[in-house]
Formats: sequence, structure tokens, C-alpha cells
Amino acid sequence: MRRGTQRKMPIIWFVLLALIFGLTILSSILAPFEPNAMDMNHIYEAPNGTHLLGTDQLGRDVLSRLLVGGKVTLFIAVFSVVLSSIIGIIYGGLSGYFGGTIDAVMMRILEALLTIPTLVIVLALQAIMQGSVWRMAIIMGITGWFVTARIVRSEFIRLKELEFVQMATMFRTPLWKILFSHLLRNSFPAIFVVTIFNFAGAIFTEVSLSFLGIGVPPAIPSWGTMLYTAQNDLLVGAWWMGLFPGMIIFVTLLCVQAIGGTFKQGGGRSHV
Amino acid sequence: MFNIENLTVRINDKYLIKGMTFTVPKGQITAIIGESGSGKSTTISALLGILPAQATLEGTIFFNGRDLIDLSRDERLALRKKHFFTIFQDATNSFSPTLKMKQQLYSLTALRLGHKNEAFLAKIKVILKDLNLSEDVLESYPFELSGGMLQRCMLACALYNEPDVLMADEPTSALDMLHQQEFIKRLKKLHTQLGTTVLLITHDLGVAASIADFILVMKNGEIVERGQVAEIFEQPKHLYTKRLVANHF
Amino acid sequence: MIAKWIGKRVIMGTIVLIIVSFLSFFIMHAAPGNPAAAYYGGNAQTLSTAEKERIEKAFGLDEPVLYQYGTWLREALQGNLGYSAKEGRPVAAILQERLPTTLQLVVLTLLIVAIASTWLGLLAGMKEGSIVDRVLSMFSIASSAIPPFWLGILFIMVFSVQLGWFPTSGMNDVRGEGGLVDRLYHIVLPLTVLVISHVGIFARFLQDSVKAENRSYYVQVAFANGVPEREIRTMVFRNAVIPYINYIGMTIPSFFGGSIVVETLFGWSGLGQLLVKSVMVKDFPVLMGAILIIGVVVVICLFMIDVLMICLNPRLRRGGIV
Repeated sequence: MRRGTQRKMPIIWFVLLALIFGLTILSSILAPFEPNAMDMNHIYEAPNGTHLLGTDQLGRDVLSRLLVGGKVTLFIAVFSVVLSSIIGIIYGGLSGYFGGTIDAVMMRILEALLTIPTLVIVLALQAIMQGSVWRMAIIMGITGWFVTARIVRSEFIRLKELEFVQMATMFRTPLWKILFSHLLRNSFPAIFVVTIFNFAGAIFTEVSLSFLGIGVPPAIPSWGTMLYTAQNDLLVGAWWMGLFPGMIIFVTLLCVQAIGGTFKQGGGRSHV
Repeated sequence: MFNIENLTVRINDKYLIKGMTFTVPKGQITAIIGESGSGKSTTISALLGILPAQATLEGTIFFNGRDLIDLSRDERLALRKKHFFTIFQDATNSFSPTLKMKQQLYSLTALRLGHKNEAFLAKIKVILKDLNLSEDVLESYPFELSGGMLQRCMLACALYNEPDVLMADEPTSALDMLHQQEFIKRLKKLHTQLGTTVLLITHDLGVAASIADFILVMKNGEIVERGQVAEIFEQPKHLYTKRLVANHF
Repeated sequence: MIAKWIGKRVIMGTIVLIIVSFLSFFIMHAAPGNPAAAYYGGNAQTLSTAEKERIEKAFGLDEPVLYQYGTWLREALQGNLGYSAKEGRPVAAILQERLPTTLQLVVLTLLIVAIASTWLGLLAGMKEGSIVDRVLSMFSIASSAIPPFWLGILFIMVFSVQLGWFPTSGMNDVRGEGGLVDRLYHIVLPLTVLVISHVGIFARFLQDSVKAENRSYYVQVAFANGVPEREIRTMVFRNAVIPYINYIGMTIPSFFGGSIVVETLFGWSGLGQLLVKSVMVKDFPVLMGAILIIGVVVVICLFMIDVLMICLNPRLRRGGIV
């Protein structure tokens, strides 16, 4: 079996991901320049000794913006995933626990929601409440729970039939205890896997929307907004402005996907 | 038919079969009995040449005077096609779920023998009728038939192919009592009709007793006792056999 | 049985469309300003007070929201989706222009992805542990980690700016006559980006599905009984392709999502680009219309996938387990 080699891989990915997280969290200390400081004498500078990754159209340091931008992107991703997981667990849990007609109706609605491209729903909501980083995170949170709900539901249905849960019901264990300590705790592995993939999906959505200019306001540096500004400057030949943010997104997503992949064989992603 | 000497099968350091020596006499029914994990099925896989790639095979397997150990993949395939047929335990899963039985029976029989479709249909219909199966079976998908019917379809293939050796790996364990007896009856009939050499693997002593001429008792990859049916059941020598027989009756 | 199954799917599709349409309506309703103004967009200013009152009455703005929704739905069903706030043209007319261009891109992508991933997936899945098998597994993870628009940026940088092989954006040469060749020339880059970002996961799915099928009982039975390998492969493919097609069906929404980004990047004037533009300029009637039409197209695609599934899976046809 190839398991042997695959078991070793996650450590590299974990370390890399931890490094990216660490760098962005400490960005205010580590960033060599103030990320929004403009320097009109040094615009469009290719990577050099002072500006390791070059400067943008306003002379801002790309490396500093990349580090600070990571904080915005990762914050949105983490917040929205936590929010969507909570909604998903509640929705899927209720549906799976009650079963019957309630379950049937809730699942039909869920199937319908899964049919609509997530990006379209997010776009629609952005149209009416566009604005801050927080709003963006909330919008993504309330649109990202569909897959989680489906998985929690099937886990609950599976666990509900198991002997120990049946026993607990027979002994009149309080409902909250059955829900939390039996059903929820045992569905945790499955929830964990889907959350990892959701996290990748959230990063994807943020960068996509910000890239389109309708996510995080362009003035705030995030990996997505950096690419948004970069697309016009590519024609000028400022390749570094597009290359580095993309690279860091790629590496981050690669880490997350690889980690998720080792926990669950066979890929599946739910982005855009 | 088969002359096996010192057959050993292992995966790395794990021995599945340890130095088996036995013969499968022509035109007789030989049964290998033993509990699950005793290496019965591995024996059949070794004879058929379908062991997983990481398994190591040692010893000699003479079939009609020819040693099969070092044959290439293609030669083994040709051998299976020409001389053997095997019925497995789980009839419900023995067929692809998305093809009509007609096509599947065709590839298990006529394709091996190079028969044309019309000839196949004519012959298989007679056999099915003989096995008490209606012609509708041909137009059905496996999930529309019961386990007993599907196992009879496998038997139909055996009847069609008239192989030199028919192997059966726990053919009745997935069936209920009624179908078990019927299957054994039909297997016996096939044997008397065609004079086929049969190698039967079972954990069910009743099945072995009712049909076999000769019995091998296996435990932990070794043959612990061998003999005629009467000998084994009336005067078991090995402690393990004694326990098996005692448990059964 | 089939009739019942199709009936179930049609009901499902209708529910989806109701939810989509409700979402659309909700957006207009939640949008800042007078709904009548939102509905008539820029033209609203030219309306007289009397006309405004007439509109408010016609739309039943003093009635409950659900009643308003009903009125709007009736209008929408008759093809009246209102007027663009920015262009002043009927939304339906704008959508009519945009839909075919998006379909060109998405259908072509889907076609190429399906063919390429089937080929790759089979190649890799049939030879477990081979180089192709391992390379494809790696490629699939890598390709699902690349944001399509970034790949697009790289492509523009290399193939348009540096090499000058392909145009950076647009659908036709501005000075040229247009025509099929010109269109194909412009579609190469966006198409390639969409294909690359999707083909990996699809091939991977089929690859895993083929591998799982190869281990199944009936394959071992067939192999043990001397059924030729070619025959076994055909059987395996037939069975592995069913979950694969189902997976394509589940992912179709993501194709339309992906095309939003790629269309915008490459200036491909389809529905996706329209959607983004309308969000930016807050052109709500167009936004609603675009969402609705994407919903309709996805539902139609899913229905087609369902029909394909019936053809491929006898269990659905013969009423086994649904």
C-alpha cells in the first residue's frame, strides 16, 4: 500500500501552513514597510534589495502588503468557516435527528440550495450589503454551510441507529446530552474533514470576489484585492504584483487540500 | 488431474499456505474443509494463478503433467479459459450490475469457447430450462434475480463450458437451506453427467459429506488429515478433525 | 417507474427555481430605494408622479410582500424582467444576448473536460500504482489549488503580453470581421484556464472510481474464469462511469461559478461578466434576471444529466433502488 508514504506528507503541509499563519499573524511586526505607505518615487519597482518583492503602482511594498493581506484573507476564511460550520451542524443535526417529514422538507430545500452556484448567491448578497471585511465574512458564513449540513445529517442518521445511542434513549438520557455527547462528538471526524475543505473553499471565494472588485474594498490589502490591482499592471509588465499573491494563495490552498486529502481519500472541493 | 507438491504461498513473512502436498484425482469430487482463514481459498487462487502480485508462490503444481508455477500471465489466462471454471460464494456480487445476464453469461461461456451468439443462445436456453430457470433470466439484470437464481446461472456456465476441472469456493454458504440442497443436488448431477473433476471448498461438513469422494482437512495453511468421506467422519484421527466432526453432529 | 422518477426531478427543479426566483426578488426588495424605481432603474426619474402611483398600484406595493412576489413572478413568467437601470433596455433582451456566449464557453469547457478526464481517469485508474496514476493524483491536487483567475493572469502574462500569441481579452477582433475563426482564437485562453482548473478533479474522481470498481467481486470472478481483460475493462468502465456522471452533475453549478471569474478576467461578455458588472453598478433588475437565468440553465443541465443517468443505470430504469 502507498499509505506509508502518504502518512509522512501531512507534516510538511502542516509546517508550511503553520508558517503562513504565523507570518500573517505577526505581520505587523514582520512587515518591513507600512503596508499602505505610498512612495511615488519608487513605483513599479521590480524585486530588489530594499523591496524584496517589488512595489506596486503607488510605490507600496508588495511583501508588506502580502503579509498584512494574508491576515484579512485568513480572518475572513476562518470566521466564515466557523460560522458556516455552526449553521451547518444545527441545520443538518436537526434534520438528521428528527427525520421523517421535517427531514424530507429540509433536505429538499438543501438540495435546491446546492444547485445554485455559491458564487452567485454570494454575489447577490454582496450587492445589497457590500462594504466591510466583517460583512464579507458573514455573507460567506451564511452561504457556505450546505455541504456541512448534508454530512452532519447523514452522520446523525447513521449514529442514531447505533446501539449505544438507542440505549441512551431508552435510559432517558436528556436530549441535549444525546445530541452533544453522543451524536455530535461522534460525527466530529466527518465534520472535521468537510471543514478543512470548506476552509479552502472560503479562501477561494474571498480571493475570487476581491479579485472581481466586489469583495473586500480595494483599499484594504488582501490577497484577492492585490490581484485585483495587479491585473491592470500586468500589461505594464509588473509581473511581480500578480505572481507573488497568487503563489501564496496557491501554496496555502495546496497545504489545506493536501491535509484534507490525507484525512479523507478521494478529493472533492466545493469552491465557487 | 492436479498433483501438488510442497505448495507454499506467502506474503512477505506471512505464510498463507505451508507446504501442502495433495492430488486431485480425475473424475472425482475432492473437498477441502476447514474453518475460515485456514487457507482454503488461497489454495484455489494458487491453482488458478490469480494470487495478488505481492504473494510469493513456491513448490510445484502439476496439471496433466505440466508445471503451472512459472507460467506467464497470458499462459495462465489461456489455461483458465480452456480447462477450469470456478463458482464463487457470493453469487449476488458475481455479476456486473449494469449488464444484462445474456451478455455476462456470454462472456463467461461462449467467449471462452469461441461460439457464435446464435449457438450460444440455443445452448444456454436448453441449460437454463434444465436448471429450472426461465428464459427471461437472459433479459434481466442481476439485481432483479435472487441469490439462488444467480448461483444457478453460474452453474449454467459450468454446464455450458464443460470444464476439465470445476472449482467451487463455498458455493452454498450464501444460500438458504432449501437452495443449498438443491444446488448440491444439481452439482452432483453435473458431475455424473459430464464426469467433471470437482474441487469443492467448504466449511460445511454436511455439504462435503453429501457429495465428496475424498476429503482434505485444512488448518492454518496445512493439511492435517485426508481420506475417504467414510474414514474422516467415522474415524477422525486428528484432534482438529474430531472437533469439527463433533461440532457438526 | 421512469415517469415517477422524472416527475420527482421536475418537482425538484421547480422548487429550485422558486427558491432562486425568491432570492432574486428578495434582492430587489432589500435593495435601497423605491422598488418601482429599482424596477424601472434610471427611467424612474422621467416618470411623472401619476405614473409612479400607477406603477405602485400595478405592483401592489401597498400589498403584502408575498403578493408582490406573486405579481413579480407572473410578470417574470411572461418574459417581462423589467428594464436595466443603466442601459434602459429590457433585461430580457440583454440576457438574450449574453446567454449564448456563456453557453459557448461553458458547454465547450464541459465537453473538453469530460473527454479529457475520461481518458486520463481511465488511463490512470486501470493501471494502479503506475506513473500516470501517481502523476495524475498530484496534478489533481495541484490544479484544484490554483485559483482559475490567477492561472488566467499567468496565461495573459505569458501568452498575450510576452509572446503575443493570443488576445488579452474580448470575444472578437475590434477591427476584424468577426466570424468563427476569430471567435475561436479569442476563446482559447479562457477555455484553457477553465479546462485546466476542472480537469484534474474530474479525472481523479473517475480514477478512484475505476480503482474501486477494479477491486469489486464480479471483476475477480470474471478474471478467475478467463474472461478477456478487454471485456472486463468495458464492464468496469460501464460501472465506474455512473458515479462519475453523477459527480459532473453535482459540479455543474461550479462551472457557472467558475465562468463568472474567467469571463470577467478575459472580457468575455457573457452572463458571468454581466452579473459582476450589475453588482458593481447596482443594476438590480439585470442582477435579478441574470441570477434567474443561471438558475434555469443549471436546472436544465441537471435534468439532462438525470436523463443520462437513467440511460446508463438499469437500476433506475428497472425500478430497483431509486
